Amino acid sequence: MSENELLKKFLKDAFEKGLIEAVMAPAATQDSYTYALITKKEDVDKLTPIAPVMQWNGADMLRRITKLKKAERRMLAILRPCETRTFKELVKFNQINPENIIVLTYDCPGTIHARNYKYDKVPVEELIEEIKKGGKSDKIRDSCKVCEYPAPIPGVGDIALGLVNAKEPVFFSLSDIGKEFLAAMGIQEGSRNADEWIKMHRERREKWLEEERITGGRKGIEEFLSSCLNCHNCKDMCPICFCKECFFEDHSVFDYESSKYFNWADDKDGIRLPTDKTLFHIGRLIHMGTSCIGCGLCQQACPMDIPLYRLFGIVGNDLQKVFDYKPGVNDDIPPVMDFREDELHEFEGLLGGEE
Amino acid sequence: MKEENFDPVIVGFFCNWCTSAAADLAGTARLHYPPNIRPIRVMCSSTVDPVYLIRALQEGADATILGGCHPGDCHYITGNYKARRRVAIVKTVLKSLGFDDTRVLLEWISGSEGPKFARVMNEYTAYIRERGPSDFKYLDSLGGEEIE
Repeated sequence: MSENELLKKFLKDAFEKGLIEAVMAPAATQDSYTYALITKKEDVDKLTPIAPVMQWNGADMLRRITKLKKAERRMLAILRPCETRTFKELVKFNQINPENIIVLTYDCPGTIHARNYKYDKVPVEELIEEIKKGGKSDKIRDSCKVCEYPAPIPGVGDIALGLVNAKEPVFFSLSDIGKEFLAAMGIQEGSRNADEWIKMHRERREKWLEEERITGGRKGIEEFLSSCLNCHNCKDMCPICFCKECFFEDHSVFDYESSKYFNWADDKDGIRLPTDKTLFHIGRLIHMGTSCIGCGLCQQACPMDIPLYRLFGIVGNDLQKVFDYKPGVNDDIPPVMDFREDELHEFEGLLGGEE
Repeated sequence: MKEENFDPVIVGFFCNWCTSAAADLAGTARLHYPPNIRPIRVMCSSTVDPVYLIRALQEGADATILGGCHPGDCHYITGNYKARRRVAIVKTVLKSLGFDDTRVLLEWISGSEGPKFARVMNEYTAYIRERGPSDFKYLDSLGGEEIE
């Protein structure tokens, strides 16, 4: 039985036992996959719990569902590990009400760039086959190749499905709710060894962090963003960019009189239009970089194929190092919501707070 | 590229309760500090969104100063701690991308420290004058300084 069939059977059983009243999981469309919310057992067959494409971040969908009120029905959401971490991070930001939501996650086989999938439909079984052997397909997105947490983390999410190095997929719990759920389902908890597999990802990530960094100051960043359309798709797809009113959008800060434009053109020997393209990216980095999960959806959303994850992933990693913070893996408060009285003295003064 | 008579422009965001008062005190005590500083009074150092610092650097400032009360002395109890985190974020982003992170300065200057205010402004202006124009200046324009 394939993994997707197994999960569908699991969902049907859960519906039958009355443990859940709704499910959110990916469902296939003609050329891609979207998230779907179902409330009936008969609809389970319309789902594809493990999809080869991540078009949206599932946590972002949960944010929409619980925006005004907690989930009214007990629902199970099937999320990838990165989406699960996003879920946790958005709970910390008070953007998702986790009440009544059970999260099921799994060893992630990675996802294919949504546009590539449209033209070359790689079945998810092929990706899963690779990770069962402890490897990873090379058709997946760049950000998936260098994923830091490709496997479920205890305490993040509720139920996990282990696939790596396991002949048969194993269920295990990540939280007390998950434990009770599996017990009620009558499923024996198993285990699998994914350490080597995770290590492989981390090694790749270290290499990537070293090699793909954007350096060179002005020249580097201007060249990197030279084909940017200023469409703000990266911001729209980013699950951490949840602000209702964005600093860079519909904001009178960026409305100027025409004389201003002409004066700038005088002073700067010509300006590029639209203005503030690079400022948008650097500003966004400053606002969300400390909580960048690393889902890579910014890069997938870019119509000009700018490898944006190199910008947000690597600078985000630097920022998270400063605050010793890993978004979404534990209950630490995000750096932008917190402060200590005695910290960061190296950023004070000209010589690092030596006075 | 260092110009012969490079005169830096430094934008200062000074908190109303401490650093702005120190600037006043420096003035009334007739202490000299360079005219390169363009002070902007803000109600608290934490009201300055990091993007404003970046924006000032892009629009022609060679450096920016964020001045606030000493830790523990904030008029709004915790504003300066938050400002410190924000400055840490800006500096890290600048450094990560290969820009000069000393172009953003965070200083704690209390209302009674007029001499310190004058000294910091003198020292920082001299430092920036030494370093030359910022390569963040006029980002996204056709002109600007070509700096290796």
